Amino acid sequence: MSLDEKFSALRKGLLEFLLLKIIAADKVYVADILRQLNATEFATQEGTLYPLLSKMRREGLLDYEWQESAAGPPRKYYTLTAKGREQLREISDYWHKINGTVKGLGL
Amino acid sequence: MNKVISIHLHGAAFQLEEAGYEALRAYLDQAARQLAANPDQAEILADIEQAIGEKFRALLNAGRNVVLAAEVKAVIAEMGPVDDGSASASDQKSGAAPGAAQQAAQTGPASSGPPKRLYRIYDGAVISGICTGLAAYLGADVVLIRLAAVVLGCLSGGAVAIVYLVARFIIPVARTPEEKAAAAGPSPTAQEFIRMAHEGYYEGLKSIHDREARREWKRKFHRRMRDWKRDFHWEMRGHFGAWRHRWDPPPGSCPSQVGSFLVLPILSTLKAFLVFVLWFAILSLIATRAICGVSLPAGLPIWAGVLLLLLAYHVVVAPIKAMRRALCCRSMCGPYCWHPFAEFRHGLIALGMLVLAVWLADRFAPGFHRTLLALPAFLHHAAESVRQWWTGR
Repeated sequence: MSLDEKFSALRKGLLEFLLLKIIAADKVYVADILRQLNATEFATQEGTLYPLLSKMRREGLLDYEWQESAAGPPRKYYTLTAKGREQLREISDYWHKINGTVKGLGL
Repeated sequence: MNKVISIHLHGAAFQLEEAGYEALRAYLDQAARQLAANPDQAEILADIEQAIGEKFRALLNAGRNVVLAAEVKAVIAEMGPVDDGSASASDQKSGAAPGAAQQAAQTGPASSGPPKRLYRIYDGAVISGICTGLAAYLGADVVLIRLAAVVLGCLSGGAVAIVYLVARFIIPVARTPEEKAAAAGPSPTAQEFIRMAHEGYYEGLKSIHDREARREWKRKFHRRMRDWKRDFHWEMRGHFGAWRHRWDPPPGSCPSQVGSFLVLPILSTLKAFLVFVLWFAILSLIATRAICGVSLPAGLPIWAGVLLLLLAYHVVVAPIKAMRRALCCRSMCGPYCWHPFAEFRHGLIALGMLVLAVWLADRFAPGFHRTLLALPAFLHHAAESVRQWWTGR
């Protein structure tokens, strides 16, 4: 497994966590999410994002509402549900814990 | 110069170059297959279509309304392959996208033949709309088709006339807007409709064992089909509008209703009278080889005389028809005209032409003549064998 593939697997595991974080901060639509992600090493494409968002919605983590846009048809704006917020807190805690573990162990 | 295809993505219309359309269709087909097991397939596909539509819209402006093939491919690459979470992590990289799209284009299902139908089209017809229908079907200029028919008719010594008469009976007339549109082949929306119908069907087959899922699928499928059907009808009506525009006088020339109420019956009577004259002339020609004392030139067969008469009739009647069409505008007859008497007369003419065709074949084809003579004996024989089979049972 190349280094690139290992990084890619790491990123993939964390993408959902980042989505929860982004959506928790503000009501966003997909282009906003992509813009925020594309500025980082988590650059993602619509082809990946839409199925993932739909899966998270199915799990009850997020919800969306239609909002009119100045140009073109109405857009889906995503928000976190209570369950999503709860999960974000749990993942966040866990992330800090393993972060500490990574720092504390070994070299 | 490239061909342009209009599509609609989640309700918004776009025009794409043909190669771009193929690439996009392959991408969406591939996406649909990737998401085949996903319960939210329809919704994700709608999201993706809308996202693609927004990207297209960003490329276009008032002076530019066609998305180029290269731009479609760039947008597809930007979207990235649709992945249901089952694909390996490295597939997420954008580098794989154009390759995947190309592969999808190659492996995509062969486009099913469009349900194009051959119709006779009376709008702009000279005799019975066969040439106009054929032109719409082949996408060719009607003048060329007519020329070809006349040239072939001369070369084949009348055989084409027989084919024409047969075609007159077996090809239906396009009456409704949908039929007229189908005469020239379906639009992209119609093809899309068929694709969605296929997909929905297979999706339904998968959930056939799960009662709850089946009910859910049924509900979704019906709703989607209803939406698509509405779009389809709407678009076909649009096509029909284009048709009217080509053949009909502009709507501004619509005369007052009082005037048309007075003139229309006169025109109809005149036309009925001309039909009567035509039939009288044909009968007189067949019976005596002469019309009102003027006999057919020697060497000209009777069928050619009949054909000439028909042609003359249509030349005389064409202006009357045109006037009637002009008078018969939307306000009076609705979106398309329907006259019970005209239908009846067309039926009579059709019947007459059938009799004429049988008569011509009987007279000029000895084989057919023999078959016709042998027919009563054959029928008797057939009836006898059926009776024997019945009683011997």
